[in-house]
Amino acid sequence: MSFAILTDTTKCIGCRECVIACKKENNLPPDFPRRWNLEDGLSARNWTSVIDRPDGKYVRKQCRHCLEPACVSACPVGALEKTKTGAVIYARRKCIGCRYCMMSCPFGIPRYDWDQPVPYIRKCIFCYSRISTGRQPACTEACPTQATIFGERAHLLEVARQRLRESPGKYLDKVWGETEVGGTSVLYISDIDLSFLTRGQELTDEPVPERTKLAMNAVPFAFLGVVSAMAAVNWVIQRRMKLEREPEPRPPQEADHA
Amino acid sequence: MHRARVVKLILWLFTGLALAVAAGRFLYGLGATTNLSDATPWGLWIGFDVLSGVALAAGGFIVTAIVYIFRLNEFRAVVRPAVLTAFLGYLAVVAGLVFDLGLPWNMWHLIIYWNPRSPLFEVGWCVMLYLTVLALEFFPVPAEEFSALARIRRALLKIRLPLVITGIGLSTLHQSSLGSLFLLMPYHLHPLWYSPLLPVNFFISAVGLGLMMVMFESHTTAWLYHRKPETALLARFGAGARWVLLGYLTIRLADLAWRGRLPLLWTPEWQTAMFWFEIALMVIVPVLLLSIPAVRFSRTGQWITAGLAVWGVVVNRINVGGFMQTGRGYYLPSWTELAISCGVVSMAVLVFMFMVERFRIWEKRPADPATAADELPEADRARLRWLGPPRAAAEAYSLVFILAAAVGFALLAPQPAESRGISPTPVRHARGGEELRIDGNLDGFGVTFRHSSHQEVAGGKDSCVSCHHMNLPRDRNTACSECHRDMYLPSDAFRHDWHASARGANLSCVDCHRKGALRSRETARHCNDCHKDLIPEGSPIEVKGYRAVGYVQAMHQLCIGCHANLGEEMTRCGACHQGLEDFIDLPEVSARRLERSGKRVVLPPY
Repeated sequence: MSFAILTDTTKCIGCRECVIACKKENNLPPDFPRRWNLEDGLSARNWTSVIDRPDGKYVRKQCRHCLEPACVSACPVGALEKTKTGAVIYARRKCIGCRYCMMSCPFGIPRYDWDQPVPYIRKCIFCYSRISTGRQPACTEACPTQATIFGERAHLLEVARQRLRESPGKYLDKVWGETEVGGTSVLYISDIDLSFLTRGQELTDEPVPERTKLAMNAVPFAFLGVVSAMAAVNWVIQRRMKLEREPEPRPPQEADHA
Repeated sequence: MHRARVVKLILWLFTGLALAVAAGRFLYGLGATTNLSDATPWGLWIGFDVLSGVALAAGGFIVTAIVYIFRLNEFRAVVRPAVLTAFLGYLAVVAGLVFDLGLPWNMWHLIIYWNPRSPLFEVGWCVMLYLTVLALEFFPVPAEEFSALARIRRALLKIRLPLVITGIGLSTLHQSSLGSLFLLMPYHLHPLWYSPLLPVNFFISAVGLGLMMVMFESHTTAWLYHRKPETALLARFGAGARWVLLGYLTIRLADLAWRGRLPLLWTPEWQTAMFWFEIALMVIVPVLLLSIPAVRFSRTGQWITAGLAVWGVVVNRINVGGFMQTGRGYYLPSWTELAISCGVVSMAVLVFMFMVERFRIWEKRPADPATAADELPEADRARLRWLGPPRAAAEAYSLVFILAAAVGFALLAPQPAESRGISPTPVRHARGGEELRIDGNLDGFGVTFRHSSHQEVAGGKDSCVSCHHMNLPRDRNTACSECHRDMYLPSDAFRHDWHASARGANLSCVDCHRKGALRSRETARHCNDCHKDLIPEGSPIEVKGYRAVGYVQAMHQLCIGCHANLGEEMTRCGACHQGLEDFIDLPEVSARRLERSGKRVVLPPY
């Protein structure tokens, strides 16, 4: 069963109750303004944030839990995993700290313990322990206005489309996260353009991991190809050199017999 | 030999500095010692130490291919230095990774936790295996000197051909896979660099640069050790590298054209300038120079050309690795990052110098100044004793190393305390934009603070100092309570101070509190005892007591403290204002009140 979160920005009142619930649930320490923090409010100690947009609009930011996550395919040791519940979770005991996941995430979600001598990657894990035991994530539970709700992805997509149908003109005609980069488990419907979440970049529907597939599939063939080509070249050249040194005895020509 | 000694002195200096920085990096974390951030998680160490290091070590597999596969025996003279350079280059890459990885002691996890879909997994494995191959390829050279190792040496020489072939295969893979790494960043890497052909580009440039690096290294060591460089031989490398580099340029431009990105080459952006700088340094200038026979066959010409191309590739790798990650924000490496990078390279060069001095890397080992002074050119013999005999030189190196480390520690000492804590807020734009979240007691909750409206009230643009810069060290902003003096009062609806003060209501304690009883809210008279008009006549409200949520509680819980917890209750005034038990329609009440008494509610002046 693949779960999802649907955030309806028109319902958000910017109360940040989700932020507080997240911090309580995950025991996150208080945050300071740090040199390495971004403006979006996410940090190693804030796994979700509410961004103030002009005209009193609020947009909640969190890990999008892509259906085909770039971070999962990037991690060299498989510390990140897309689970059946839809959550992208992180096994800190495997992590080597290469930060490739941070570099590859199209939404720029994973954050780092920059101030720690033993640092880990930090991001929303969809309250994995809660959703795998039948409860809903802390943030959706805390939301007082049902602006962010939890459910099965297929169902929430239906809910989203229904809202778009029922109040045309209220929303931009798009379910954010339905198809971009192969779809995400965190969906948005909104009356404002949400492309600021990807710094104005239009995401295509191609899942990011697809982009390395060709190159990665070519690896064994490239290796075997190069190795056998080298061996072949070597053999040919060696043989030619040998022949040059001691010319092969010429086969007797037919004319001689005649 | 004095050149070698001066160079070694400088290298030991860098190494000492790096030692101090390395200690700081592991004690305080990456944040305190680098300019890396959540915006730019990869920087100089990936771009220079790892990407450039691997590319520049490509000389190893190319020269072994030329000599052992294509059997061009005349190039044998450059095999040993090239393999040594590659070996040390890869060791430097691993050393660089030790600093860059957050958890370097987990590096071996690559062996047990597999994710074959990850390009980095493949790079990691290839580098591990190739490092082993290089070690086995190089081992016979030092083993020459020790008769005990003769058997191992012979065994290794027997399997040299398979080793060389495996090495070429592995190099092909990871040189290109380093490019594949960035295929996962289509939305971050600048379109002038992002291309499905990144792996091909990386591989071809590595081949070209491997050749140039052999050239550069040969001339640099020739200068260092007053050795005769293999200029004629290297000229053939130059001729080959020219075609490789031209091919690289063609592929890159064709690729840009194919993807319709050519107009980007003329957009006035700093990234465009960097592209042209990189291409000029890496391809155009070296190719032009190598096309002039006078340059190609001259020692200085080769040296300069190779140096330019090497720097060109370094610029290219740093661009891809961090600088051209658009929209990620501004990144410039800190001095500490530079110190580590310089230190790692210095260490590698020092080991290289040790190896060439101790073992037979070239046909002729460089002359030892103590014994072979006659072999040195005249001019240098005069300056031979610049650092005295080897022992004195070693002392000088140690001194420089320790001094540099001390300077490093001194420079680093005041930094972590600042970097670990709060960044200096006065010079920062308010985080979260217009609205700050202030969490004075650091309990994870906070109040929303509208900066501009506070600025307006405080007196416009020049009023910064009324909140910032007026306080003790480490206390960077004025506390809220400096202005909101009533914030710790139980309620802002009832001002105790005002009621008690001579300038206010001028009441004595017993005017409100029962005589002899403990003075508390419970023992005080109700508001409507005095404020008869607090509740209009005919109102359904019965005031039994009066208490409102205090300012701090109200603000620190933000909206939600009331709205979520009280829910429907919110519509009841009594939910907060205990005592106002019943439902009232406030607009209606105040309209009625205005009509009857002609008075609006006026709060007492503060």
